[in-house]
Amino acid sequence: MPPEDHKAPAELPRPGHSRRDFLRGSSLAAAGAVMATSAETAMHEARADVSETDGVAIYSGTCPIELKVNGEAMSVTIEPRSTLLDTLRNRLGVTGPKRVCDRASCGACTVILDGDAVYSCTTLAISCADHEVRTLESFETDEGSVPHAFHQNDALMCGYCTPGFVTACQAWLEKNPGQEPTLDDIKQGLDGNICRCGTYIGVFQAALDAAKAMKKGGA
Amino acid sequence: MAALWPDNPRLIGEGVPRLDGLAKASGRAKYPSDERPDGLLFAAVLHSPHAHAKIVKIDTSKAEAIPGVKGVHLIANEGATLRYHGEEIAAVAAESEEIARDGCRAIAIEFEVLPHAVTEAQALADGAPRLTPRGNTQAGRAQEDGDPDAALKEAAASIEGEYSVPVITHVCLETHGQVVRWDGDAKMTVWSSTQNVDGVESEMAGAFNVPATDVTVLTPVMGGGFGSKFGADTWGVAAGELAKKTGRPVWLFLDRVQEHLTAGNRPSASAKLTLAADKDGKLSALIAETAGTGGISRGAAFPLPYVYEVPNSRRQHTDIRVNGGNARAMRAPGHPQGCLIMESALDDLAEKMGIDPLQMRLASLAEQDTVPSGSGEPLNRSEIYREQIKLGTEAIGWNQRKSRAENAKAEGPIKRGFGMALHQWGGGGRDDKQVTCIINPDGSVELRSATQDIGTGCRTVLAQIAAEVLGLKTTDINSNIGNSQFPPGQASGGSTTTPSMAPPAYNAALEARDLLFKRIAGALDAEPGDLSIGEGVILVKGEREVPWKDACRKLGTMPINVTGSFSEGLTAQGVGGCQFVDLTVDTETGVVKLNKIVAVQDTGLILNMMTWKSQVYGGVIMGLNYGLFEELVMDPSTGLSLNPDMELYKLAGASDIPEIDIIPFDNEQMRKRGVIGVGEPPTIATAAAIGNAVANALGTRVPHFPMTPMNVLNALAKA
Repeated sequence: MPPEDHKAPAELPRPGHSRRDFLRGSSLAAAGAVMATSAETAMHEARADVSETDGVAIYSGTCPIELKVNGEAMSVTIEPRSTLLDTLRNRLGVTGPKRVCDRASCGACTVILDGDAVYSCTTLAISCADHEVRTLESFETDEGSVPHAFHQNDALMCGYCTPGFVTACQAWLEKNPGQEPTLDDIKQGLDGNICRCGTYIGVFQAALDAAKAMKKGGA
Repeated sequence: MAALWPDNPRLIGEGVPRLDGLAKASGRAKYPSDERPDGLLFAAVLHSPHAHAKIVKIDTSKAEAIPGVKGVHLIANEGATLRYHGEEIAAVAAESEEIARDGCRAIAIEFEVLPHAVTEAQALADGAPRLTPRGNTQAGRAQEDGDPDAALKEAAASIEGEYSVPVITHVCLETHGQVVRWDGDAKMTVWSSTQNVDGVESEMAGAFNVPATDVTVLTPVMGGGFGSKFGADTWGVAAGELAKKTGRPVWLFLDRVQEHLTAGNRPSASAKLTLAADKDGKLSALIAETAGTGGISRGAAFPLPYVYEVPNSRRQHTDIRVNGGNARAMRAPGHPQGCLIMESALDDLAEKMGIDPLQMRLASLAEQDTVPSGSGEPLNRSEIYREQIKLGTEAIGWNQRKSRAENAKAEGPIKRGFGMALHQWGGGGRDDKQVTCIINPDGSVELRSATQDIGTGCRTVLAQIAAEVLGLKTTDINSNIGNSQFPPGQASGGSTTTPSMAPPAYNAALEARDLLFKRIAGALDAEPGDLSIGEGVILVKGEREVPWKDACRKLGTMPINVTGSFSEGLTAQGVGGCQFVDLTVDTETGVVKLNKIVAVQDTGLILNMMTWKSQVYGGVIMGLNYGLFEELVMDPSTGLSLNPDMELYKLAGASDIPEIDIIPFDNEQMRKRGVIGVGEPPTIATAAAIGNAVANALGTRVPHFPMTPMNVLNALAKA
């Protein structure tokens, strides 16, 4: 379940823009070129104003994009610098994913982008245009589901990290269908998330139970 | 005499999944930071980039000129002195958060940077800048018991030691903040991430000079407080000012950096001490100089001696002020510090005397340590400790423990060690809180109180109590809390929420039941005394069953609405617990790996075994963080914090969590004590037990917490 490392391959088939790339890129003189790894994104960015200060391209203004969120097409006007998380929470009212560290350290903002768990706080919204975003609001909640397993195992206290854990867990199970993970698999899979209340013990059991239910359901 | 807790409960004590659990686990629960009222503006806070500076000039005109910026509010004005990195200067409200942050950046400030002192050493150095008119230190009242000098001369053995633990922060996952909406000129709705709904109401009412009745504070759920969220704070008031100025609702939550720097901390603690015992290993004398810093504020006091009886002691404590954010209460304020210093020294003394540290602890418990019981006889806590220690030593396998000398001689770089520590806490209920119980003619039942659920499960246990009394399921009860317009609710501090709110919930449900009987008896051709509660039914003369909803329909159009208060016998205070740790240390890398933790805890009557266990697990894990990872690092040269984030400020992740064995100290005698509260005690002893296990593994004490590779390797290098 570790959200994909955006520092990894540049030839990702799906959007590779993260705020980290953006920050790194914008410190280079050729920032514009670094950013425009896909023509599609470059087109969106073209709608925003571009100016140059000390040799660094600065995008400003706003641009309309289409996002597919939980199966629904949504139009939204963002800034090139807007993160996927802030776009979901502040502009689209999708507040399930939480902003906690805002720096890809804690996982509370995890969403599923084209099937992969990603940290939405360090993913630029502009790079997600026309891609499939799923948040935990869209997950099943009845018996056998991940949210249900978290509830039954008291795998939450204040609950603010919980959306991230639930989403990471869901993404892992979808990627590893029919598997029954060991406790160590679960710990490794959830190591990209942090809980301050200390609900890990319940979380482990919830993940194990959800995996079991999914295996049973799939078999 | 008011009723006592039922002897053979159906629901109380059972593990009932929390009522808001599925909403939280499916992203549907709306936290204060998720509120998006119509017309909302987003606000951001500008904070001090310096550890110590004076604002010479401040110009907000450029910020105000940015399209989309709707309001700027100065928290600090020209001439103000900023006393730490992160102190708030201004707040900007705008159409988007991005623009609000642009607004903050566009505020032009001319600073006169002043010399700083951000560490205790800097604050105590010759020529240190004077941070307050009273200076940089403030001595507490000297503490003296018996004749420690004479006792030290007569002691069989003594040790001199120095121990310390750094400043840590609460790291609430939902940062501090609130959404404020003015409803007209004089009414206000506030969605606040707080552990004190009623307190925020009075603070906002006071700040804006409106009647408290016209301020509604809502906290249906919130993302963690741990002692740091008792007030509206300057930024909460700033949100109110901006909402007033712009005529629109304003969302204002701190960012992660500000959360670390300005929203509270657990003060550091250090001690230079002498501890002595008689030949049987009973502690006889303690002489200590202690200190700590809670930043620019005071608040670094902690208890010492701790848990054990030391008949002769002298202690002088000094609070040191530095250019750092203010201390705030943090889960069992002071106790983890006192515990790890006392328990480290005791362990070192036992080692020097060649005594099993367990024996020294048993020998040093007070003969009588009386704690009250709700409906039972007062108890001797020392007896509770003895029984708990027996359970804990068995669960951890204490008999596998070897002495430090033996462990140090073990082959290879990986050393295994065992450690233990004891703790205590008060808890208990306050007598001035209330809960309303409403039974509607359609059979629905609602509880109302201003109190809040900060993740403890308070909402669920109150419903469990009402369901117990009314013969219903917990899920049948609408447990409506976190609203300041409801009857007064306890602030969540000191492990007092559940013990303060459970008695009025119980009494409200009992009174509502009795009133229901009175009101419907005639319609059931019976006397009120003929009626009793069965599962989902009202029983007439113990035989005829009337389904709950049918019975409630007899109320006609008027619901039952009663408010219950506190009564004696339902709550007590003064709990004890002990924890044990089994770990290994890699002496080449300094990495500590936990194998197992055992926690034995008494908290009187346990209302919900599931949420109770979660709190104890959570306490242990927070203690584990304190013992192994946490430290807010200040840079002496720049005066800035180096790790106000969640990457370099370390917290345990999934793979850092060992096997944790929770043992509820739960028996008939404990249940008779009544409800006490468990939020704080289980976080106290963990770090101390970890430190002792590390010392046991290495054969040498690591005197500075946390047990990081650096601190471990430094101690090994000196050994």
